[in-house]
Amino acid sequence: MAQIPNLDNAPVNLTSIREQSQKELINILKNVRGKKCLVIDPKLGDSLSLTIQTSILKEQGVELRHLSAEPIQSDCNKVIFLVRSQLNLMRFICSNVHDDISKGLQREYHVYFVPRRTVACEKVLEDEKLHHMITIGEYPLYMVAMDEDVLSFELDLSYKECQVDGDASSLWHIAKAIHKLEFSFGVIPHVRAKGKASVRIADILNRMEAEEPINSSDMAVPEINTVILLDREVDMVTPLCSQLTYEGLIDEFLHINNGSVEIDASVLGLQQEGKKTKVPLNSSDKLFKEIRDLNFEVVVQILRQKATSMKQDYTDMTTTTQSVSELKDFVKKLNSLPEMTRHINLAQHLSTFTSKPSFLGQLDMEHTIIESQSYDICFEYIEELIHKQEPLTTVLRLLVLFSITNAGLPKKHFDYFRRELLHSYGFEHIATLNNLEKAGLFKKQESKSNWLTIKRTLQLVVEDTDTANPNDIAYVFSGYAPLSIRLIQHAIRSGWRPVEEVLKLLPGPHLETRRGGFSNSPSFDTFYGVSNSIDKVPDGRRSLVLVVFVGGVTFAEISALRFLSAQENMAYDLIIATTKIVNGQTLVETFMEKLG
Amino acid sequence: MANVSVAAEWQLLYNRYYRKPELYPMRWKHVDLARNKIAAAPFGGPLAVIRDDSKIVQLHGESALRKLRLFSSSGHLLADTVWRNPGGRLIGMSWTDDHTLVCVVQDGTVYRYDVHARLIEPNLSLGKECFESNVADCAFWGNGVVCITESNQLFCIADFKNPNAVKLADPGIVEPPRCMAVIEPQYTVSGNVEVLLGVGDGGEEEDAAVIAVEEDGVQRLGGEMLRGPLQKMVVSRDGKWLASFTHDGRLLVTTSDLTGVIIERECESALPPEQLAWCGMDAVLLYWDDMLLMMGPDGEPVTYLYDEPIILIPECDGVRILSNASMEFLQRVPDSTVSIFTIGSTSPAALLYDALDHFDRRSAKADENLRLIRSSLPEAVEACVDAAGHEFDVSRQRTLLRAASYGQAFCSNFHRDRIQEMCKILRVLNAVRSFEIGIPLSIQQYKLLTPSVLIGRLINAHQHLLALRISEYLGMNQEVVIMHWACAKITASLAIPDATLLEILLDKLKVCKGISYAAVAAHADKNGRRKLAALLVEHEPRSSKQVPLLLSIGEEDTALMKATECGDTDLVYLVLFHIWQKRQPLEFFGTIQARQLARDLFITYARCYKHEFLKDFFLSTGQLQDVAFLLWKESWELEKNPMASKGSPLHGPRIKLIEKAQNLFAETKEHTFESKAAEEHAKLLRLQHELEVTTKQAIFVDSSISDTIRTCIVLGNHRAALKVKTEFKVSEKRWYWLKVFALATIKDWAALEKFSKEKKPPIGYRPFVEACIEADEKGEAIKYIPKLADPREKAESYARIGMAKEAADAAAQSKDGELLGRLKLTFAQNAAASSIFDTLRDRLSFQGAS
Repeated sequence: MAQIPNLDNAPVNLTSIREQSQKELINILKNVRGKKCLVIDPKLGDSLSLTIQTSILKEQGVELRHLSAEPIQSDCNKVIFLVRSQLNLMRFICSNVHDDISKGLQREYHVYFVPRRTVACEKVLEDEKLHHMITIGEYPLYMVAMDEDVLSFELDLSYKECQVDGDASSLWHIAKAIHKLEFSFGVIPHVRAKGKASVRIADILNRMEAEEPINSSDMAVPEINTVILLDREVDMVTPLCSQLTYEGLIDEFLHINNGSVEIDASVLGLQQEGKKTKVPLNSSDKLFKEIRDLNFEVVVQILRQKATSMKQDYTDMTTTTQSVSELKDFVKKLNSLPEMTRHINLAQHLSTFTSKPSFLGQLDMEHTIIESQSYDICFEYIEELIHKQEPLTTVLRLLVLFSITNAGLPKKHFDYFRRELLHSYGFEHIATLNNLEKAGLFKKQESKSNWLTIKRTLQLVVEDTDTANPNDIAYVFSGYAPLSIRLIQHAIRSGWRPVEEVLKLLPGPHLETRRGGFSNSPSFDTFYGVSNSIDKVPDGRRSLVLVVFVGGVTFAEISALRFLSAQENMAYDLIIATTKIVNGQTLVETFMEKLG
Repeated sequence: MANVSVAAEWQLLYNRYYRKPELYPMRWKHVDLARNKIAAAPFGGPLAVIRDDSKIVQLHGESALRKLRLFSSSGHLLADTVWRNPGGRLIGMSWTDDHTLVCVVQDGTVYRYDVHARLIEPNLSLGKECFESNVADCAFWGNGVVCITESNQLFCIADFKNPNAVKLADPGIVEPPRCMAVIEPQYTVSGNVEVLLGVGDGGEEEDAAVIAVEEDGVQRLGGEMLRGPLQKMVVSRDGKWLASFTHDGRLLVTTSDLTGVIIERECESALPPEQLAWCGMDAVLLYWDDMLLMMGPDGEPVTYLYDEPIILIPECDGVRILSNASMEFLQRVPDSTVSIFTIGSTSPAALLYDALDHFDRRSAKADENLRLIRSSLPEAVEACVDAAGHEFDVSRQRTLLRAASYGQAFCSNFHRDRIQEMCKILRVLNAVRSFEIGIPLSIQQYKLLTPSVLIGRLINAHQHLLALRISEYLGMNQEVVIMHWACAKITASLAIPDATLLEILLDKLKVCKGISYAAVAAHADKNGRRKLAALLVEHEPRSSKQVPLLLSIGEEDTALMKATECGDTDLVYLVLFHIWQKRQPLEFFGTIQARQLARDLFITYARCYKHEFLKDFFLSTGQLQDVAFLLWKESWELEKNPMASKGSPLHGPRIKLIEKAQNLFAETKEHTFESKAAEEHAKLLRLQHELEVTTKQAIFVDSSISDTIRTCIVLGNHRAALKVKTEFKVSEKRWYWLKVFALATIKDWAALEKFSKEKKPPIGYRPFVEACIEADEKGEAIKYIPKLADPREKAESYARIGMAKEAADAAAQSKDGELLGRLKLTFAQNAAASSIFDTLRDRLSFQGAS
């Protein structure tokens, strides 16, 4: 089972981008001759696992280690640290080198920063007086292809850094990544952005284009027609709701990490007791590709049907005489048996979670909060969760959802919840609360909430959702249409103008511009739709829209976008880029900070 | 025929023709080569002239001070300067590849001049040993020099760009060598320079040899083969062959490792020639007093007579001959030219050339000629184009190209761009060959030199306009030219005020998109024009170039603004650290406080690595609550650090820190909550500590209030639990949950039941039910389920402990179809139970429930 997703069916040539990254890494390793120890920061290691096989690294004479505070054990006298340019990681590098010095070990050190070296990180090395001992380089990995239509910038802390720390480094990174894409696929002529960070990225992107122009005359028609940038801040409601698509649910309960999920082998009916096994989840798995985006209820039905039909085929096979071609068909079907078994086992495992009263209760509560009708019921429910000392993330998830839909809580309640939380979970969580407040996720009510207006205008709650034959994106949450995707739906169809009134109710500015060679000709400058002449890619493929989520996207939202893309009247293929794939839990976790 | 006169000027050597067109009559006046030392750069480069201080000459009313004069190849004075350099006699002088004039004097000092005769600082030295024992001779190549001292030691600077003098191995000779030559590093096996020394005196044949000296070894080559010592040596351009003149008057051509003799010719004189040079790869030139002899591999040598001194300047495809009055170029006549102009030639090219002549004279013979060569017309055209390229005479170039173009008209399969390309090349060549510029490049030299190097040389010589025109004409990037011009302009325009100069510069800089304004600005700054630099850098679009420059010219605030605007946080950090280092803390704090991004980035960095400094910052800006948070955080670190807590069992320091935080919070009204929380935290720690002392169990500190209560109950210490409850005003609701769960944990069902009966629980009986079910105690759960007020809760609870009938009844009571459906699912495996739900649901006739 290949961990690295197959990208052959990607709407743009992502394979070449990945190959480029592979080549660059191999060159780095080649430049350090002989045996060497490659020390990777663990999170980066996860992203790299989607880029290059470990076996290829081993071929370069590499001993692989993870970077931590513990000194690395290796006989190699050449050490390459491959780290994201994050301040806190410098401490580990320093302690490693100091440890060697104290032991009298003489080694050759290389530090490769991903995606680029930064003054701040080097300053730390300088202050520790190690700078002169270290050769510094860069590994410009700005994004990783998670699947044939999903790119990740692997900036898991982006949202928190921007909102809480005011550290906008990730925005430059995102702009750079998009600019890199433009070098491969041409200047993207249309830009639509909503949210402070997104508008800033569009601005940085324009600066980059001015500073380092892409020679657009080389490319006749840009492959990507539009980029839509959306801040997570604009819609924090969606990621906090429990996802109900197959892939989304797997992520909620089992946590998908970089395109694969780790579960007990026993879940898959394997004999090894207590052992963990990794299941890759991407489009290379045909069955998964078919069912990943469907509502879990439907998935169960489909799997059941498939199993039944196979059983039927099998009985036919044993009882009646078959022609050779029929036998062939049957054998072909048998080939998909391992995939079937795997997903049936997975689905079975998931349903043990979905049938729990606590989960059903939570779903109920999410819908109640979104409907925004029974304040007291919600209040009491959350209060009880705290009193029962349910996991803090679970509590915060609902609490944040509650706070956002109400534009904050009345001061009395705000203080009450904070006090109860500190009493129940410990005073060290004051930092978490402080972070959430800074980010505006859990705060004192200062103005009236306009959630109801937004919900109504954008038709976010859809009655009578047929999850089996959906006609609206609301199927992914069994009745709630994700706000983020609703906005994108409008942005693709007709631009921002028709929804301008609602956009004003949502946080952050919005922007709609044209760039590149087209910006000078006013005749092209129409807000509505997209004129046909320039949008057609010659070979008959649909042209592309790049949707960028600044601050993370959930699997359910990706599913909803795929649903949109599959609609008949849709003129575009969609490709999704995100700072990181998130869910309510991981998103809340980024804000958690214990003082202790 | 019209072309007879052309071939009449050729000389035949063996089977090849040579020609010697005059490139320029020299423009200079009163330059006598005999009185001077000359250094001429190859590729039509400049000439350096200085009076030879090793000769006794008569001064004709001129200053006794020597002048170093630089001329173009046409004798146009480029620059001059008075030579006042100490260090003894000038031993050697040569041009490097990048047109730096290198002059080696006796004491081993190396003076360098640019083409404008400006001394390039610092002077180099060949080392102490050279200084002590004097340089006797030196040999140059591309970018390097080898010197031999009077004590016969060799020193080498391999590359003037990276000038380190290296001593080569000791050749082990007593007498100075008779001659010296070098093989360039690129042609040697070791990759280092190899020096050949001709040694031995006339008498003893055995002593005669060539000593090859390298950095780490000496080799004796030749030996018997030479039959006596060599008087003069010269290595061919490709380093493969060595031409030498023996003591008994023979010209020897050997391989450069002296393993085989290729040619050996007797000369009439045993006197060694003054100059020995390769002419291309096919002939060797020997120059005595008034005679220049050209020897080929075979046949009679060609003799040229000169009644004035000459200098031989070897080029890749011939030799330039410089005399007082003219500059000539001796080269082999190219094959295409031979085929057209040889007397009586009937080659297609000659006929085509002839046809054009007839055509011009309206003679029908033109057509006849064309018919004759129809099948080989393309070759004929090609030959004309090629011959045109080799021509120095513009009118002949034109005629040849016209012939080519005439032929092309009748020729369908000729590569049409060829003529156009050649025209382009010739235009460039003719432009640089002009008297004013004076770079007499042949086409072969031009191709070897490459257009970009040529442009580099032009701008180096400050021929910016021509360089710009050429690069524009050839479609090359003009940035190099404009950039160099701008810098040169700034250097030369000290008198022009900033604003005026800025306008002049911008006017030209805008020609070139993407040019680095920052680089020009940096140059302006270097020339002490900081204000101009600031004005220029304003126009730089690339922030990554702009910001560092702004810092270097002291415009920190602008730099910070620009960095912030561009959104590259790395640049903001760059400025930040720069200011941090440069300014007093308080001033630094003031600067960043005003800029949000810079401030936030500073805080992020300081949070990781400069805690104390961060505290100072918050204090200085009055953000007391942030200081409080830092202190509070420290209180935990204190706990983790065993050294800090060991000394004081009462957690005194830690609590003190928290109380300090509490007071800081209290300073601002917005942080009453935090202040209260800190106060409670301190109180909790004290209480927990007492508990640890009384229970003698270290399990309380750093658990939450709720956990503390639970722990107390689990330990059976209900009084303590109650105390915590009242101390922290824990609500009844929370108290009930905590106590119920704690009792269930220790399975004290009796106590639980007692607790349930204490009074009517403020949150109903649900906690009791849940606790029992979670502990898997159905029997206990049943006690409390009937007491639940909500029928739905009741139904679900029954369902959870598997009592389908009771669950169904309760659900029916609640009249909730959705619930019924769900319960049915729960009981799906159990057919009997499932049917109960079906019947009930039918009775309720709920629809659409899933």
